[in-house]
Amino acid sequence: MQLTSRPHPGATVLVAAERIDQASAGEFLAALQAELKQHDPAAAPVVIDFAGVDYISSVGLRALMVIAREIKAGKGKIGIAALQPLVREVFGIARFDLVIPCFDSVEDAIAKLST
Amino acid sequence: MNWRGSLPLFRGGRSRLVPLGLLLLAALLLGYLDDTPLASLRNAQFDHYQRLMPRQRTNEPAIVVAIDSAGIEKYGPWPWPRTLLAQLVERLHAAGAKSIGLDLLLVEPDQYSREMLTKRLPDLPASSRDLLPDPDRTLATALAGAPTVLAVSGIVRPLPGARFPNKPLPDFRIAPAAESSMTRYASSLTSLPLLARAAHGEGVINAAPDRLTSPRDRGVLRRVPSVAVIDFVPLLSLPLEMARQSLGQNAVVAAESGAQGMERIRIGDHSLPVQPNGEILLYFGRPSSHYYLSAADVLAGNFLPDTFPGRFVFIGITTTGLQDRVITPLGDNLPGVDIHVQALESLLSGEALQRPVWMPRLELAVLVLSGLLLIFVIPSLQPRYAALVFLTGIGATVGGGYLAFRGGLYLFDGASVALLLSPIFIALLSNTLIAADRRRQQAETDLQASREAAARVAGELDAARRIQMGLLPDPGRAFIGETRFELAALLEPARAVGGDYYDCFALDERRLCLAIGDVSGKGLPASLFMAVSKTLTGALTRRNRDLGQALREVESELNRENPEFLFVTAFVAVLDADSGDLDYVCAGHDAPLLLRAGRIGRLDTQANSGPPLCALGDYPYGAAHTRLQAGDILCLFTDGASEASNGDAFYGSERLAATLAATAGEQSLAARLEALRDDIRRFEAGTQAHDDLTLLLLKFSGR
Repeated sequence: MQLTSRPHPGATVLVAAERIDQASAGEFLAALQAELKQHDPAAAPVVIDFAGVDYISSVGLRALMVIAREIKAGKGKIGIAALQPLVREVFGIARFDLVIPCFDSVEDAIAKLST
Repeated sequence: MNWRGSLPLFRGGRSRLVPLGLLLLAALLLGYLDDTPLASLRNAQFDHYQRLMPRQRTNEPAIVVAIDSAGIEKYGPWPWPRTLLAQLVERLHAAGAKSIGLDLLLVEPDQYSREMLTKRLPDLPASSRDLLPDPDRTLATALAGAPTVLAVSGIVRPLPGARFPNKPLPDFRIAPAAESSMTRYASSLTSLPLLARAAHGEGVINAAPDRLTSPRDRGVLRRVPSVAVIDFVPLLSLPLEMARQSLGQNAVVAAESGAQGMERIRIGDHSLPVQPNGEILLYFGRPSSHYYLSAADVLAGNFLPDTFPGRFVFIGITTTGLQDRVITPLGDNLPGVDIHVQALESLLSGEALQRPVWMPRLELAVLVLSGLLLIFVIPSLQPRYAALVFLTGIGATVGGGYLAFRGGLYLFDGASVALLLSPIFIALLSNTLIAADRRRQQAETDLQASREAAARVAGELDAARRIQMGLLPDPGRAFIGETRFELAALLEPARAVGGDYYDCFALDERRLCLAIGDVSGKGLPASLFMAVSKTLTGALTRRNRDLGQALREVESELNRENPEFLFVTAFVAVLDADSGDLDYVCAGHDAPLLLRAGRIGRLDTQANSGPPLCALGDYPYGAAHTRLQAGDILCLFTDGASEASNGDAFYGSERLAATLAATAGEQSLAARLEALRDDIRRFEAGTQAHDDLTLLLLKFSGR
């Protein structure tokens, strides 16, 4: 699991990569929370670029859910963009697109979340 | 503030105080070593240096003319007539001797001198007496005619017959401050003034062996004076005076001195390091009989013409019973006269042992620094490395002593330093070993405790597992006699307890409720959430006819207290066992497989499925409806099946479906379930299962 931030004028873009499973979910959540301390999610929407994520387990979904709740509590917006097919399938089965909106691309996410 | 913790010195607590005390004691002992039995060790060490590396005697600048048993046999007992001695001196002078030293004290007049004969024969007429020869005068004449030096023996307290020397050093240059440290004698024994005045010089022959510090110490002779003061008059030792004589009257004798006293003595161009009191630490060479010649042979002319020219000659007594003998550091037992030869050779080659005043300070510094190093390093090392460090240090200290001797004839007492370091090391090593033993015992105690704790936890987990597994119904026994449908289920947690569950129970005569769920996460937290989820789902499904409403209430109840933000995917269905009508609701769970007439499909959950329970908290779940046909097999599973991994790939729901279809040949539903489970486990090929595995099969037969 890796999480880096990519500078963007209109949004907080975080780039996740590799597997988010039982072993790395805790680390993933801690990294997300650390990033959100630096970038106020109420000021600009948060988009997590999932293009590099190969696999996400239910524990990884839980981390996303926790973050989504925190951001929504702070009147911010969050979205996930560019999911690989396997990950999109997991989101589909678990209907997690109802928990966090999913978008085809980062730009698409920013455009829709900024409105 | 904890001063023990703050100072590195005390980090080891009292464990460093004992070694520090020992170091202090060792430093004190080293300062007064010569007054302790350890002096024997020090001397033995220094002697060993010489034994390993004795002085090389390349040429023989001196020769001893020995008054030996052969001479006694031929010329009668000692004392010989002075005329015979005069003859010997004259013979040696004629043979070309460079300088002649008489290691003899001719204190009394000759037995046949006029004086002695007059005493013995008081009646001898004066005319006859005057005709008698005077042997002492004969010898005086001989002494005056050759480069001769007579012996002087310094004595501490004046004795009857004590005389002061007649030929003191004409000029001895020494700093006034160093003068007080010189070897001093109150008086001396010298030869007859007649003889002493006739000789060209006088030299001290004192050479006291070391004090006996232990019964085994034999009084080894290690040092001789180079110069001594007799009644305020300086006098060189016999061999050094002979060397001075040979250099001519212009040779300057001077002392180089420091704050503690003399450091070197210079005689002309020759120079030797000396102790502050002027003593030479003799560097001995191996003994040899080459340079010994019997006085009888000399008197008889039995010697080669090249024996004496250019050589120093010592006349001394070697016959048994009369001679003084000394023991050297090399272990040799030699006539006293040999010491003069060794001292003379030392002066000519400029070689003497050096133990300058700074050497004891250096030894002290090495002791203290090594001791402190040990005290700070050893406690942090394992015993075997500690021993290695110590042995290396000992080796360096003792070896350094040998190197210092080889390089500059310095006497560095590495052995005593090493010996004094040993108690410190032993104390430190004991501390280390005691600490190691304590740690080992502590580790054993800890291990025992952790084993007990692990056993306790395992026992508790085992109980939790039994309780959890007990929550799950056994479909084989719950529906005995049921013909409309058949059920088989299994749940295998990845750990002792898991977060999956399944349920199946009759709501009434016609209706059967099926449920499967998967809590996010694993282990104890998930298992507790699982138990609550299963119980709530069961209770609320029984209460509500509307499945969607039941699930909404389950979510609402679960969400009430969920500090860990766990969520649970679930699939709940109600089957009308008579008609095959199936109402179902899905919360983020995998769609169940449906095997109908040999063809595999999936229950359509797309339209109605919501997110997992507790993911959103207020999702309006709604039920979907389908109708099962007789012979249909419904397979409910969790991602323990679809995401079973062999390290490279997932088992996948497609493969699960294909395997389900392929198990048509099995006799019973339970056997098909076993076959499915076995295929999944085979796929995992022994890799640790990541997730709980739950499977539930329903075969609908209808009425």
